[in-house]
Amino acid sequence: MADIASLPGGNSPWRSAGRFGLYFLLISFGAYYILPLIVVLSTSFKDLDEIRNGTLLSLPAEINLESWRYAWSEACIGVSCTGLKPYFWNSVMMTIPAVLISTVLGALTGYALTKFKFRGANMVFAMILFGCFIPFQVVLLPMAQSLGFLGLANTVPGLVLVHIVYGLPFTVLFFRNYYVSIPDDLIKAATIDGAGFFTIFWRILLPLSPPIIVVTIIWQFTQIWNDFLFGASFTTGGGQPVTVALNNLVNTTTGVKRYNVDMAAALITAAPTLAVYVLAGRYFVRGLTAGSVKG
Amino acid sequence: MATLTIQNVKKSYGAVDVLKGIDLELENGEFLVLLGPSGCGKSTLLNMIAGLDTITDGEILINNKVVNDVHPKDRDIAMVFQSYALYPNMTVERNIGFGLEMRKVTKEDRERRVDEAARMLQIDHLRDRKPAQLSGGQRQRVAMGRALVRKPEIFLFDEPLSNLDAKLRVEMRTEIKKLHQRLGTTMVYVTHDQIEAMTLASRIAILREGEIQQFASPQEVYERPANMYVAGFVGSPAMNFIPATVVSENDRLGVSIERTARGERSSVFLALPDDLQSIGEWIGREVILGIRPETLTHRSDAEMTQNKRLQPFDCQVEVLEPTGADTLTYIELGGREVIARVNPYNTSNPGETMAFMVDMGKASLFDPKSEMRI
Repeated sequence: MADIASLPGGNSPWRSAGRFGLYFLLISFGAYYILPLIVVLSTSFKDLDEIRNGTLLSLPAEINLESWRYAWSEACIGVSCTGLKPYFWNSVMMTIPAVLISTVLGALTGYALTKFKFRGANMVFAMILFGCFIPFQVVLLPMAQSLGFLGLANTVPGLVLVHIVYGLPFTVLFFRNYYVSIPDDLIKAATIDGAGFFTIFWRILLPLSPPIIVVTIIWQFTQIWNDFLFGASFTTGGGQPVTVALNNLVNTTTGVKRYNVDMAAALITAAPTLAVYVLAGRYFVRGLTAGSVKG
Repeated sequence: MATLTIQNVKKSYGAVDVLKGIDLELENGEFLVLLGPSGCGKSTLLNMIAGLDTITDGEILINNKVVNDVHPKDRDIAMVFQSYALYPNMTVERNIGFGLEMRKVTKEDRERRVDEAARMLQIDHLRDRKPAQLSGGQRQRVAMGRALVRKPEIFLFDEPLSNLDAKLRVEMRTEIKKLHQRLGTTMVYVTHDQIEAMTLASRIAILREGEIQQFASPQEVYERPANMYVAGFVGSPAMNFIPATVVSENDRLGVSIERTARGERSSVFLALPDDLQSIGEWIGREVILGIRPETLTHRSDAEMTQNKRLQPFDCQVEVLEPTGADTLTYIELGGREVIARVNPYNTSNPGETMAFMVDMGKASLFDPKSEMRI
């Protein structure tokens, strides 16, 4: 491929001006996007005096972690002043099993839909896909009834179940579309070699799946961790996930409004999804673009 | 080693009949090539032999045992795929040994047999590589190794050479032939390439739209094609089909063909050989004369006195296509373009009239309506 930047005759003054304009625009957009994060981050390190006396954009005089400690273990959420800590663990206990179970089930379903085709497999897939387009709000009432019937209302396992059910259409979609590009001949060869349904899945398909597994895990983790509606609807008090607790923390004011604690709490809440993206983000892009398996 | 019998096998997908009653019988150690264009059902038939596809009607027998309801892994067959279907996550060694591993062969035994197969295919130096690190030809060898190591009763090949470049294809073709001679195992090979079919097969089954057109040895298929479809499919350049009329001249039956020589349009009489003298009922009727390009060449009087079946005629040359060994000479006979294979030193220029002879002993006659051999 030719390097477009170094083609002959490509160095006129107009080109340089164009470059300058382009970079100016890009840097402006970049600043616009990063600014809120900077404000939140710097505010979380300030104490209340500094917030009152300084401007919004001024940087903190020193890194003060007091508001982070307070948000984590002392802030009042409603009437209980425990900080975000128990709710954060609620979210962890909810997200990890929900992500893992929905990913495993999605992989198995995607595998069955593409490599062990049965009559009407495409119809089943279309119906599963339909689940991707059902708004959260529609299922609130029936889901609340189901949870009550199962005795899982206001519990973390209840939320896990909700998120598995709601996440399955997406995970099935991801895995199905990934597996459809894996040649059927592989399955035929393995069948003749004497491998069965689960052996083929475990020994041949799963080792080819890391890109799509990463995509699915990031997607599911972000969705489930960030969910507010299900958490707010199906739990109260001690069973709440961290997103709901954050909302309640910000809305619970005792006297003066502690902006630094609010900001620190927001960052604590957002940290896991950011961490997942930073750690696995490059696999995410790779997984989204990974089409066929060569070889 | 095994015999393979296919009895009236049919396959339909809904209302579409893909295979319409296939009958084949293979002896021990035969090399059957299923030849046909894409969509003729040849791969479906192979998949049914492998057990990867169900049989709508009829029976498939391996060693005289009906295997219709036997799982692929229990049929004692091995298959080589067009895409090679190597497991991308496993090394060459694991790929070859996977079938044995699934059959719970002990580790030592497995290693010994993988070793043997890898050495036979000259890929033992590649054992620790992944398929992605191999060239097309090497992948092909690994795929064959995976089949070989199981020592199956029947080898199945599904267009194994189509993904290789021309030179490698010829090489691997010879490899497969050598392998067959060495192992003597029954093999079934699917291809759309008539040269592969001719070079490899002990018998060829030519399929068209789910029906067998001819099931015979390569030489028989080439020399005595059962119908015009087979005649046109096998051989390159393809057999010439010339509209002709059966006539009788001096008590001998022959065909009369229109052509142009020295600027004039006239008919030429070509006497039929003895074994075709019995088709008296065709006198005055139109037939299709099938002539292979290599049986139509420049006239040599010496050869003609030796072989009475060589018949002479003159015809105007239209186009020349030198190929090095021969020059393909295009002429017009009976309104059709006809190719003759001529020695490059005996050609005439386009527009000139040239003296040809044709070996009528190797000619075929077809009924223009049914397209069947007469």
